[in-house]
Amino acid sequence: MIKRVEVNYRGIFQKNLGKKIGSDIVMIASRMGQRAFSNGRYSDSPERNGIPCKYFAFVSPDLPEEELEAECGAKLEIDEADVSVVLDDTMCKGVEPWGWHGIRPINERVVKDGCLLVVSKKKPEELLKFIGKKPYNYRIAILDGDASLAGLWVNKDDMTHERILGGIAAVDPAIISIEAVESYLMDKTKQKHRAEAARAAYESLRAEAKPPRVKTVTPNDGIDWPHKIPVLPKWFEMQEGAVVPAVKRGFEMGPRGQNRNPGFKRGTTKTQRPAVRFDLCTKCTLCWAECPDECFDPTTDGFYDIEYQYCVGCGKCAEVCPVKECIVMVDELQFEDDHSPWEHWKKDSKEYIAWVEGKKGKERVSYPVVTGKGRTVTQGEVMPEGKIVPVRKTEEVEV
Amino acid sequence: MSVAVAKAKSDLSGPYEREDLLNGCQAVAQGVRLADVDVIAAYPIRPYTEVMDALSKLIADGQFDAEYIIADSEHSQFEIVKHASSVNARAFGGSSGTGWMYGMEALVVTATDRLPPLFVVGNRALDDPGAFGVEHNDAMAIRDMGWLLCWVTTPQEALEHVLIGYRIAEDKRVRMPMGLAMDGAFLTHSQHMVKVPSVAAAKKFLPQYDLAERRLHPDNPISVAPQVNEDWVMELRRQNWEAAKRARGVIKEAYKEFNDVFGNRYSAPYYFDEFMTDDAEVVLIGIGTVAAPARTAVRRMREKGQKVGYVNLRWFRPFPTVELRESLSRFKAVGVVDRDFAHGSPDDCGILMHEVRSCLYPAKNRPAIVNFMGGLGGRDLSIADTQKMFEITQQAVKKDSMDGFITWIGLRE
Ligand code: SF4
Ligand code: SF4
Repeated sequence: MIKRVEVNYRGIFQKNLGKKIGSDIVMIASRMGQRAFSNGRYSDSPERNGIPCKYFAFVSPDLPEEELEAECGAKLEIDEADVSVVLDDTMCKGVEPWGWHGIRPINERVVKDGCLLVVSKKKPEELLKFIGKKPYNYRIAILDGDASLAGLWVNKDDMTHERILGGIAAVDPAIISIEAVESYLMDKTKQKHRAEAARAAYESLRAEAKPPRVKTVTPNDGIDWPHKIPVLPKWFEMQEGAVVPAVKRGFEMGPRGQNRNPGFKRGTTKTQRPAVRFDLCTKCTLCWAECPDECFDPTTDGFYDIEYQYCVGCGKCAEVCPVKECIVMVDELQFEDDHSPWEHWKKDSKEYIAWVEGKKGKERVSYPVVTGKGRTVTQGEVMPEGKIVPVRKTEEVEV
Repeated sequence: MSVAVAKAKSDLSGPYEREDLLNGCQAVAQGVRLADVDVIAAYPIRPYTEVMDALSKLIADGQFDAEYIIADSEHSQFEIVKHASSVNARAFGGSSGTGWMYGMEALVVTATDRLPPLFVVGNRALDDPGAFGVEHNDAMAIRDMGWLLCWVTTPQEALEHVLIGYRIAEDKRVRMPMGLAMDGAFLTHSQHMVKVPSVAAAKKFLPQYDLAERRLHPDNPISVAPQVNEDWVMELRRQNWEAAKRARGVIKEAYKEFNDVFGNRYSAPYYFDEFMTDDAEVVLIGIGTVAAPARTAVRRMREKGQKVGYVNLRWFRPFPTVELRESLSRFKAVGVVDRDFAHGSPDDCGILMHEVRSCLYPAKNRPAIVNFMGGLGGRDLSIADTQKMFEITQQAVKKDSMDGFITWIGLRE
């Protein structure tokens, strides 16, 4: 028997977290007398800021280590997972780690009766609005919390790691038991609060826990997956000399007026998206000029629409926008689709302002991830329509 | 059976316009002029240096017009050549020994990018210690990277193979970089009378370079060699593999076309030349200028009634597997002359030996085979040396053991 764990993490920001979870599953399973090993899908490329990446851990009570390695380690991607851990719930919208991969459902590898273990503040029902349907029953378990985001060389010690171990023990004790998790954490760190964090997470995911945080997902739950999986060309269908045709040139004013790469959209990279108040916009061009992914489409009336499918959520536009509350980064899960905000605003500006302020909510994320610090959350302010107040950047940056 | 040398003194008319005294380097420069090369990138290292000298002189004298770029190192030099080739400029580079090795990264990618510039390699021993003499390991380093690689033995062949080389490399079915190797000193700096083709004849033979759909140009927006992952590399390797196989057929075509324009200069199977092999029992096979002493030894031994012959291997990549297997399996014994080394390899043979032996493995009649390591670092390979190799190979016919399988020739011992 083999148990497979997949850890979906945000490239760079959760690299160490993903690896740490993989390593500790091996350590704990080994202490339980099982054979185990762990590996990653990437070294660095294409691991970029926020790109969805994977780490794996494999455990078997009966196979010799070499056979376990042969079954699970000879492939770069696994075919099935007993537990798919999701370290940032915005990945529930799909994952597209590199070009020609397509946007794949987060639960693609989850087996029948397996578990999708998500770190989130949301309810299963809210996440299932984004997740593709499966032909069989499986479980979704919510480990209450915010995504732990740090940087390439650092690990944010907020005990997400310990809590994930406890969570795995709850949803599939055959992988690691909670007792083994606790004793391992105690032996390793001599810090009781780490074992307690794991235990608390474990308790929160038990069937009798209140409120219940594990839900059985049936074939009726979820959405019909809207994205196609590309078929890769055969060797004789490709151009020779590693030549790839460029994206066909084309530009028109207005939403989606410029041609972009259909083979790699990169939108699943983002945890937040920029929400724009066009009524506050001074048409200064900075967002359009500074966006590293050229997501802004100029409109005939001088505004800049956003093509969210290509936005990686880097926050640069929000950072450079000189008007208070004009561009604000908002949790990606607030949005169900990628429709053009400018078109929405043109259709009914009052309704749009109310809609976008509703999405922002009271708390909002100010700036992108500061390496080693994670996101900062600042109190937002609803600006009356057309009230243009300049931003004084120096006051806003929290260090 | 034909040998270019035998025809060197024919009439000066038609496709050849004059006869000049040229060494191997100067002959290559004349070939580059006649190929109407667009971009030359240069960085000195002997013995190649004289190629760039000769080219700059041709340009300075107003006899040739090309972009001539002096790079800051071989690595940049080869990158310039590669990039020029990608924008549809016929491009030329070259080097020797460790300089060639220093630019290796650029040489490898030129092959995977399937671009067809031509590089001359004036073979030189790999330092350390500082050494200038010929040894083939420098050029051999690219043998498995997707390059075309051939050796010439005279300045006449050197000139002609610049034209032939571009013709093969630029062919739509091939598009691989071309390595034109020649023995340092023994050929690079050996002056002979060379018949120089007319511009018209060269033009008639060598078509325009056209990279077509792969030309990097604003009117043809493409990306060349982006980052790819595990999903793509194998398919690209397969494409290179096919191109290298297709090149065998294109080589034949090119020589036939060359013969049509320049008279019957080369004969089938083109990839190699056989000398007095018709009824031979024992042959040597070698690469480069060792051909002259070996063929002389053959003539002299033939006078004494010994059935010996010589095979001069011209094309190393693609390797003429079928033709050479067919040819060599006719003989009782084959002696392989390596002017290179492959320390610690199977049976500790030289590189050519490995290739020949592997080529003969599926043959119905496998000849006895022995290996000679000789001429390393520019050490002499004389008529007497080759005669000795013939004698050892003759004895191998009767031997049933690996005894005397490898002999070092010209070593102080
Ligand atoms: S967050 Fe703004 S700057 Fe960054 S990719 Fe998205 S639109 Fe462009
Ligand atoms: S940066 Fe802000 S004010 Fe400037 S054009 Fe963009 S949205 Fe408008």
